[in-house]
Amino acid sequence: MALSDQAQLLEKADPALARYNRQMLWEPIGIEGQKKLRNARVLMVGCGALGTVLANTLGRAGVGHLTIIDRDFIEINNLQRQVLFDQQDIADQLPKSVAARRKLAAINSDVQVEAVVADVNHTNIEQYAADKDLLLDGTDNFETRFLINDVSIKLNIPWIYGACISAMGLGMVIRPGITPCLRCIFETAPPPGMNPTCDTAGVLGPTVNVVASWQAMEAMKLLTGNIAAVSKSLFSFDLWDNRYQQLNVSRAREIADCPACKHRNFEYLTGKFGSSATSLCGRNAIQITQPAGYRVDFPQIAAGLRAAGEATFNKFMLKCTIAEGPADNRKNFELTLFADGRAIIKGTNEAAVAKAIYAKYVGS
Amino acid sequence: MTNPVVDYLDNAATSWPKPPEVAAAMADFLAKEAANPGRAGHRMAIAAEKMLDRVRKQIADFVGGADPHRLVFALNCTDALNIAFKGILRHGDHVITSMLEHNSVSRPLQSMSDSGFITLTRVAFSPQTGLIDPDEIRRAITPRTRLIALSHAGNVMGTIQPAAAVGKIAHEHKILFLLDAAQTIGVVPIHMDRDHIDLLAFPGHKSLLGPTGTGGLYVNKTVAVESFNAFREGGTGGDSATPVQPRLMPYLLEGGTPNTVGVAGLGAAIQYVIAHDPAVTLAHERKLVQHFIDGVADIASLTVYGPRGADAAAGRVGTVSFNVAGYSPQELGGILDETFSIAVRPGLHCAPYAHKIIGTFPDGAVRMSPGHFNTLADIDKLTAALHEVAA
Repeated sequence: MALSDQAQLLEKADPALARYNRQMLWEPIGIEGQKKLRNARVLMVGCGALGTVLANTLGRAGVGHLTIIDRDFIEINNLQRQVLFDQQDIADQLPKSVAARRKLAAINSDVQVEAVVADVNHTNIEQYAADKDLLLDGTDNFETRFLINDVSIKLNIPWIYGACISAMGLGMVIRPGITPCLRCIFETAPPPGMNPTCDTAGVLGPTVNVVASWQAMEAMKLLTGNIAAVSKSLFSFDLWDNRYQQLNVSRAREIADCPACKHRNFEYLTGKFGSSATSLCGRNAIQITQPAGYRVDFPQIAAGLRAAGEATFNKFMLKCTIAEGPADNRKNFELTLFADGRAIIKGTNEAAVAKAIYAKYVGS
Repeated sequence: MTNPVVDYLDNAATSWPKPPEVAAAMADFLAKEAANPGRAGHRMAIAAEKMLDRVRKQIADFVGGADPHRLVFALNCTDALNIAFKGILRHGDHVITSMLEHNSVSRPLQSMSDSGFITLTRVAFSPQTGLIDPDEIRRAITPRTRLIALSHAGNVMGTIQPAAAVGKIAHEHKILFLLDAAQTIGVVPIHMDRDHIDLLAFPGHKSLLGPTGTGGLYVNKTVAVESFNAFREGGTGGDSATPVQPRLMPYLLEGGTPNTVGVAGLGAAIQYVIAHDPAVTLAHERKLVQHFIDGVADIASLTVYGPRGADAAAGRVGTVSFNVAGYSPQELGGILDETFSIAVRPGLHCAPYAHKIIGTFPDGAVRMSPGHFNTLADIDKLTAALHEVAA
């Protein structure tokens, strides 16, 4: 049958699916795959760089139900890479998840989008993940990824890891009980301040697009039941130096004595591991504390913070004033960091805001 | 017995460590008698009820209360204060309190005032002496004044207030006097009649050295039981046929299963406190406070709030607040904890009005509060750390 005939046939079969014609023409998806996408429920944790590309791609592809959780509002420096947002969203002072819902409604009204403005943490992630077919990582920190990893294994829902910085990206599909999980690969979250973040080292738009497009493709394979095609490797690349790698991790599950997928000991989901945020008695400040044993390196962090603000430190603590928020409503936050990774973030009473600043500028 | 890692100087919040007898009594009670108390139940229920009554008597005796049945167990001092305020105040009452107060007094009274239920006057205190002036309370009295609620010692500076003088004024005007003994019970002598106290609210977990989750309200015989509304209603372990809360103390104000395990610990704690003489403990804590004030006197960038100088500790419990220029209280608290393993409490100490008066609102100050088990070496460790930080 000629391609044009097949396309007409597909449209006749279900006119509502006509818009997905070019996608259904790809045989492994077809009309059945498209129906599967329409019935799929996906949780997207984080709606920044990776999250907007994921939401844009999957929303256009006709994934029926997207729950988008993000704790942040849009800032002008997001627009360079966060494809769903525009200047009007900033003028309207919209939270990221709400702006994403608005944009997706205009792109594809078939898709049901639930926008949640919240900090995802060990007390609430299970309720958002419970009825989903797939969890997608659009976060900027390891702690939340380990949380997603725990809930994925506990509820037996696959998830797709994605991370990027500068021109480098990483991705991996985690299928509980089948593939290694994130904790088989990385035992614990790196100490705060160890790794550069997009807000300290920068990130390029194409990097984001490649990682999130890779995640979106794997998501479509999983959701349409094309399991054989799903990646079994840890995918990594450097777009600047043109290096691409598929790291075979298939044996990691046997080798690692993984607390999460081998022992079902969900240390992040139970709140045993991970940071905690408490409102400080006094003015407008939140304290973030890290599990015992972390040490941070003040000179390294001060160097990383150069772009954000002037950091000063002595042997006890590091201080930096960081301006955040839209240009007409810029707010100063004062970050005080101690050697054990704890931080006081002054300028907010909201744990979610403080955690976002910590993740962006210290890294967790 | 003490934590070898942490130098604990936050006893004004919760005393720590506890005498080993406290944990032993709790474990023993839990193992042998921890049934639901009841006056007409099986032998274990009766044993639990007896234990409660025994500790009621201990506490009543300790505060000069004649009738143990007027001692109501509460979850903590805040709970006791709520039982009192919400049980005794009537629409249109005027209440006098002070700016020393903890939010456990300030907040319930402020919300009653905001809703138009009561009117409220807050008298100031001197930032130098840390004391209220009883005459100022006298001047605030109106024909509608029904209650004077005062903190026995403020939790920011630890200065002990002239409770008996205020109680006397209250009684001269036929006004109820409530004393919040959060910072004093266990170290400063308290006597219901001699201090003219009608309602005494106290925690079990501070200077009484008991476990958290314990506290109480002693309702003096000067307060008619009929004038109380039950703030909390429920089961009482007896009188079950009565359709509403029985008008019988302490059950009128004690709905629900009490914290029997905690009370068993509190009983052992009070025994320990009495055996070690509260006056000796107070003198010890004052010595530590004075040692601290002397030890930091040469740090130019350090400010101690309230009385200073050679007898700065004389009228205090073991509590003193300070700041170091160049650091917010939260930063200083963070450094002391992180670098020096010293536990102090930065912030407003739930006492925003007090910090306004001493000029430390809204950031607050750092409070150090030694207790029964602290030593001069603990204070030396703190002053050495402060020298290093301020250098």
